[in-house]
Amino acid sequence: MRVLLVEDEVRLAENVASALREGPIFAVDCAEDGLTGLHLAENPCYDLIILDLMLPGLDGMSVLRKVRARGDRTPVLILTAKSEAGSIIALLNAGADDYLTKPFDLGELIARAKALIRRGKGAADPILRLSDLQVNTVEQSVHRSGKPVDLSATEYRILEYLIHRPRVIVSKRELLEHLYDYNWEHHSNVIEAHISNLRRKLEAATQQPSIETIRGRGYRLL
Amino acid sequence: MKPYSITHRLITTVLLVELVAAVSISGAAMLYERHVRFRSFDIMLRGRADSLLGAVQDAEDTADNVMLDGTEASLPQEDIYQVEDAGGRVLGHSQNWTGMPASPTGKFFRASAGGKHYRALRIEGLRVVDPGDKGGGIPRRVTIFYGAPTERVWSEIWEAVAFYAATSLGLLAISGMLIFLLLNRGLAPLRELASEAAGVSVESWNFIPPERARMIRELAPLTAALETVLAGLERSFMRQRQFVGDAAHELKTAVAVLKSSLQLLTLKQRTALEYERGLERCQLDCERVEETVAKMLTLARAETNTTPSSAVADLDQCLRQAAQQFESIAELKRQQIFVMGDGPVMVEAEPEQLQLLCGNLLLNALQHSPAGFPVRAWVTQDGTRAELAIEDDGEGIAPQDLPHVFDRFYRGDPSRSRKTGGTGLGLAICKAIASRWHGTIEITSDLGIGTRALVCLPSASVKVAVRH
Repeated sequence: MRVLLVEDEVRLAENVASALREGPIFAVDCAEDGLTGLHLAENPCYDLIILDLMLPGLDGMSVLRKVRARGDRTPVLILTAKSEAGSIIALLNAGADDYLTKPFDLGELIARAKALIRRGKGAADPILRLSDLQVNTVEQSVHRSGKPVDLSATEYRILEYLIHRPRVIVSKRELLEHLYDYNWEHHSNVIEAHISNLRRKLEAATQQPSIETIRGRGYRLL
Repeated sequence: MKPYSITHRLITTVLLVELVAAVSISGAAMLYERHVRFRSFDIMLRGRADSLLGAVQDAEDTADNVMLDGTEASLPQEDIYQVEDAGGRVLGHSQNWTGMPASPTGKFFRASAGGKHYRALRIEGLRVVDPGDKGGGIPRRVTIFYGAPTERVWSEIWEAVAFYAATSLGLLAISGMLIFLLLNRGLAPLRELASEAAGVSVESWNFIPPERARMIRELAPLTAALETVLAGLERSFMRQRQFVGDAAHELKTAVAVLKSSLQLLTLKQRTALEYERGLERCQLDCERVEETVAKMLTLARAETNTTPSSAVADLDQCLRQAAQQFESIAELKRQQIFVMGDGPVMVEAEPEQLQLLCGNLLLNALQHSPAGFPVRAWVTQDGTRAELAIEDDGEGIAPQDLPHVFDRFYRGDPSRSRKTGGTGLGLAICKAIASRWHGTIEITSDLGIGTRALVCLPSASVKVAVRH
């Protein structure tokens, strides 16, 4: 999953980005002002936007309105230092999905980020199931036919992204864009190796095919 | 002082004045009535006494005496009289005559008989017996005492006085009520103004004085003063609220950074080196919180005038000390601070605050000019004013930011200032210090050319000379 973090407080942005990269293993892009944030958000590769309210250039509220005005459905989590009900109501009414008041708990931020991504992809249960495959997004564990499957971090992330879109052809570019931050192109060669490892580990348990490669178009989780 | 009502005081005063007037009028009326009525009473008394003299006739006896001929019976019954001849012989007296008062002095005297009071007259009369005789007859002198009761006169006088008094009292009551009504109506705009002013609170500053209050000459200054005071209070309250909000935001952000730094460390097991680095960062974050709090306290102190109100400092020396303090920072970016000035310039200010002011301005100039560019500072004295100028050749301040540079927590470019460690309070502190010592501070800037800060402070040279 890939997250856009728009926060002008550099130290806070660094900490949040590190936490998101280390905890749920998200790819994180940072923007330090509203205009850059708005520009980056045009890219449909983000699964979540974390937006600070007090931003130079363009304030968070305006960024949010503009993002929603152009029809973007990406979940938006607001970081705010204001805790008055009025300002929160205005935020939610402007199209925000959730908010956190500063100073916040990093664990809570991660949990909310996960929940928003899950909801944004149409899932309510943190345990995702597809036929005999089960992915627990909280523990980051995978079971096939009841047997645990041991995956590397990248393999897990590929599977997590694919299981949100079952039986849909996901292009290599889409997969790359959602797994890595702005320098995703550097990883384009290794993705095939990761896919083949993932496929091997999933099929080891049941001998059933799992990920189908459609040449020139992408991958499909069966 | 006891609380009192202007209305009641006014009414009481007016009524008292009217009461005094009524009493005076009644008294004067009594005196006048008494005078007039007793004058006519006296004329009447004299007339009756003369009629009594007419009743004195020749007694036709050998001694040529006189006597009363009986016509005196036609005089009013309640009157008293007695007629004596020169020898003291009583020729006759009225039936109710009870005798003379002890010593009648003067022409008129008082007498009382049968429980009644009389005003009496004593006249000397002359009756000539046998005027047809040779030698013109024999003159016989008689003394007549004649009195009439004064009861009726007095009752007439009292009636007149009572009429005057009653009329005055009636007028008094009517005017009292009229004054009360008029005052009540006249003071209505004041009450309206008060109730409107009472509606003002920190939640609603809306104060619209009633139109009537504005039109009344006596109330207009009060209305204007209220409006001015409330507007000033609202401005300062809003500024304080803005400051509290900004300060809260600032501190919350700083705490959020610190908290997230700590939580990041506990997110998973780390190596000792990672912990060490993390703790170093936490310490830096802590220092930032500390700096923000320290600056907020400095600002609060500079604004609340807790420092002594009189102090003298050498502006030139303060500037030089501040420049020395930042020399190492300047060297990092190969910058130079040129301080110009000829000798001490004494101003009325506290040296520590002045040094802080110079330091903040110097640091700003250093931070906002590129590496290798110099910062110039000089102190001059112009009569009663001392001037401090600090100039840089930096990127300048955008015209839209210029009016806000002294606002608390204002940052022209927040992310940039945060990277350089600015709290957005430096210039606000400068302004507070300059205002504290009755000076001014202004900043002029041209984008891409440079910025100049100019501080004017009242010179203390005159006072110093006197002290020495």
